[in-house]
Amino acid sequence: MTSVLFVFLAILLAPFYAAVILKVKAFFGGKKGPPLLINYYTLVKLIKKGSVYSTSTTAIFKLGPMVSLCAAITVLMFLPIAGQPPIFAFQGDIIFLLYLLGLGRFFTIAAAMDTASPFEGMGAAREAYFPIICEATLFMILILFYVMSGDLSLAAYFSAGQPAGFWKAAGAPLLFVVLALFIVMLTENSRVPVDDPATHLELTMIHEVMVLDHSGPDFAFIELGSFIKLFFYSTMITRLVCPVTLGYPAVDLVVFLATMGVVYVAVGVTESVMARYRMDKVPQFVLTSFALAFFATVISLEFLK
Amino acid sequence: MLAMNNFFLAVFIILGSGILPLLFLWRRFTLMKTMASLGISVGCLIGLIDAIFKLSHGADLTASTSYLRAFALAFRMDGLSTFFLIAIFFIAFLSAVYSWQYMNNAQKTVRVAVHYLFFSLLVVSMALVVTAANMITFMLCWEIMSLSSFFLVVYNYENEENRKAGYLYFIFSQVGAMFILAAFGIIYSHTAGFGFDAAAMLPETAKALVFALAFIGFGSKAGVFPFHVWLPHAHPAAPSHISAIMSGVMIKCGIYGIIRFYGLLGWHAPLSGYIVLVAGMVSGILGVVYALGQHDIKRLLAYHSVENIGIILIGIGLGMIGISAGKPVMALLGFGGGLLHVLNHSIFKSLLFMGAGMVLHKTGTRTIDVLGGLIKKMRITGVTFLIGSLAICGLPPFNGFVSEFLIYIGGFRGAALSQTDFALSLLAIVSLAVIGGLALACFTKVMGVVFQGEPRSAAAEAVNEKGLSMIAPMVILAGTCLVIGVFPSMFAGMALRAAESLQLGYGRVPLAPFMQLTGNITRGALLFFMVFGLILVLRAFLYRGKSVTASGTWGCGFTQPTNRMQYTGSSYAGSIIGFFGSLAPLEEDHPPIAGRFPATTHYHSQVHDIAERHMQRVIVTPVLTAFDKLRWLQHGDIHLYIGYILLAIVVLLFFV
Repeated sequence: MTSVLFVFLAILLAPFYAAVILKVKAFFGGKKGPPLLINYYTLVKLIKKGSVYSTSTTAIFKLGPMVSLCAAITVLMFLPIAGQPPIFAFQGDIIFLLYLLGLGRFFTIAAAMDTASPFEGMGAAREAYFPIICEATLFMILILFYVMSGDLSLAAYFSAGQPAGFWKAAGAPLLFVVLALFIVMLTENSRVPVDDPATHLELTMIHEVMVLDHSGPDFAFIELGSFIKLFFYSTMITRLVCPVTLGYPAVDLVVFLATMGVVYVAVGVTESVMARYRMDKVPQFVLTSFALAFFATVISLEFLK
Repeated sequence: MLAMNNFFLAVFIILGSGILPLLFLWRRFTLMKTMASLGISVGCLIGLIDAIFKLSHGADLTASTSYLRAFALAFRMDGLSTFFLIAIFFIAFLSAVYSWQYMNNAQKTVRVAVHYLFFSLLVVSMALVVTAANMITFMLCWEIMSLSSFFLVVYNYENEENRKAGYLYFIFSQVGAMFILAAFGIIYSHTAGFGFDAAAMLPETAKALVFALAFIGFGSKAGVFPFHVWLPHAHPAAPSHISAIMSGVMIKCGIYGIIRFYGLLGWHAPLSGYIVLVAGMVSGILGVVYALGQHDIKRLLAYHSVENIGIILIGIGLGMIGISAGKPVMALLGFGGGLLHVLNHSIFKSLLFMGAGMVLHKTGTRTIDVLGGLIKKMRITGVTFLIGSLAICGLPPFNGFVSEFLIYIGGFRGAALSQTDFALSLLAIVSLAVIGGLALACFTKVMGVVFQGEPRSAAAEAVNEKGLSMIAPMVILAGTCLVIGVFPSMFAGMALRAAESLQLGYGRVPLAPFMQLTGNITRGALLFFMVFGLILVLRAFLYRGKSVTASGTWGCGFTQPTNRMQYTGSSYAGSIIGFFGSLAPLEEDHPPIAGRFPATTHYHSQVHDIAERHMQRVIVTPVLTAFDKLRWLQHGDIHLYIGYILLAIVVLLFFV
């Protein structure tokens, strides 16, 4: 029951946390920035509107937002939030979930290609490119987690006091994992220095340019989906950074939400102090995450034996 | 003999339907075509039902007959054979149905009739290859398979490119067969018999040699890198339903050979698994990288066969490592996943080739970059192609995911081992992840450029979708992709039973935990559909009474957009190809734009296959030079030729 409650809470809170990043960026820019509830206002505004569809598009264009949101929500149901066991878990669920997010990506790209716009094609090509390396990183991390815990499910990694066990077993190399996951999070969620959601030139965007032609509730679905996806990745990082659970769901939740805030602030700080990389430099940046995960795995599996 | 009756009945029906058109029906084109495709499909259906029945009852049957009074033709149906038979008969059945309208070419009546003869020969020989129980039978059927598919590849022989493709395929299949023959020769020299069963008695070093030779021989049929060079040439040349059969099931006969030999030899040294696994990883990654760089849709699909053969080999390799490390669960996961991928790949790859065939049939072109927007006028083809794409990318809830999932789990089991096993399993998992990502990039490219957006040429504009016999097989295949993807337990059970029949020396492993794994996929997929349904309802609710209007695509302020401005397949794949620079050298031909009034320019790009390049340099050129020097042997004097024969016999007398 608590788990179901937590999933709803996550869906509700995801837009709020995304706004934290905006606030931090505004602070660094010496501005007041939008209110913390800005994303809710945007979602409500979008939901109230109708839609304009390009004459080039087909039903795939409408499927795109639904599938990506659906994938994100399904993933949440397998995610242990605040150390609470998730609603569903099974052996190998993490592979299923990563591929489910891949399904969402396939449809986001297909929806972009549906518009016949050269700009959206450009964004789609990048969206297809960078996550390849991210997946390699994630699977490298999974190997480490699998060997340490003997399990292949999110529930086994992030609930029942487990991340703490990882720290005890692997120690310092886990810092590499945290960093690698952070890079993957920035890449998968189109943040600076991979992609700049706030830029004004379509040529330089990845995710934002792909959804140019979406409007109204469809666009609200896309926005909500990407908030949830960001929430998913930062939950994993949060649990790694703050692995303790006290056994009282309410207390755990407060600690968890506070640490979540810290992770989002870190994203905001990263975005404020860095510029977006040139597109051909991005693969090197993402490959760094793979190298980190690789070393973490090899080092700690050597020590474990 | 009695027990395999149904199987032979199917074989004879197929063979008869192939021969009949040539005998007397070719004057009546429609009748001939109908008889042939109907007969072949009925035969395949009988074979399919029989194979499913036998597999579920775990039958192990044999039959034999004498051939030329000198050799015994022996056949044996065990779990592995029946599993491959299911794939062969299922795909051949649908291809025969598809061919009914695809081969609508009344001007070339005789050629179509000949095509049906070789079609039936190909199906029959594949069915016999996977049931052959001694060397003579195997080799005979193997050669008939290679030759009949060769004649199908050169169906359009007027085209020089197709003749070259056929020639290349011919050489590769014959050289591959030579390697297999060499492997047989070594077995024969030790056991002095044509039977397979004695192969397990070979000394360890001979086993290693036999396995290596057989791996090269079967690998060249399966399209393992670097023996895949013929594949991207031959598949586009053949008619599309033949490409479907060749890519879907014929190359799997190579996989069958590898697995069968592994089982027969019982050579369980870790090295066997390492060879297969590394070959799988290389084929998998390079196959998909080259696929990304293709401009021809059928060539692209052919390279994807190389990729999927790679995935299958990764599964099998992990299984072999599992056996050598004494981990039966990992072994079953690897073999089961690999075998299930054999079935899955045959389904979605033939679906995709049939879709590509439909596109070719209606637009007359295979070039990706001149198409576009086809899904609007070819709805069913577009949707089924989309399902096929999702399946080949290994995305849930479609069948490709299930087999990759099993292989992944097998890989993770391997990662818990030590040293080389650990390192290779780790690489296998990462390769699978990278292959998945690249396949996604490749198929979003095909979907996006061919089926979505706006048409880039007049050919792509004037299309329609007619031909029930071409559409129905695609719908059936797409449906199968979804059914296996959502309810995989039964199919995974079939693959596991086939793997079990190899009797790899670990006794019986309870299958319940595996069924639980696949049952979880069902639960996950159903959950996904439930959430999707909720979102669908939510969306309908949110759009209630809203104004929905249509307008042009936002051109980012550009006022004169044309359809040719769309992102092309080349530009879509460009940066990813660039990342694999040295492995996939990109050749571009693009005179720069200069001056105030620039002349017209062009852009042409081609991704080179390094295997093809190096094979040319390292093998073809030296061999040609050597043979050139031996030309004096062939002088046209018949007396001396007879002298050669005499000399050969005399020399042989000394040895035998």
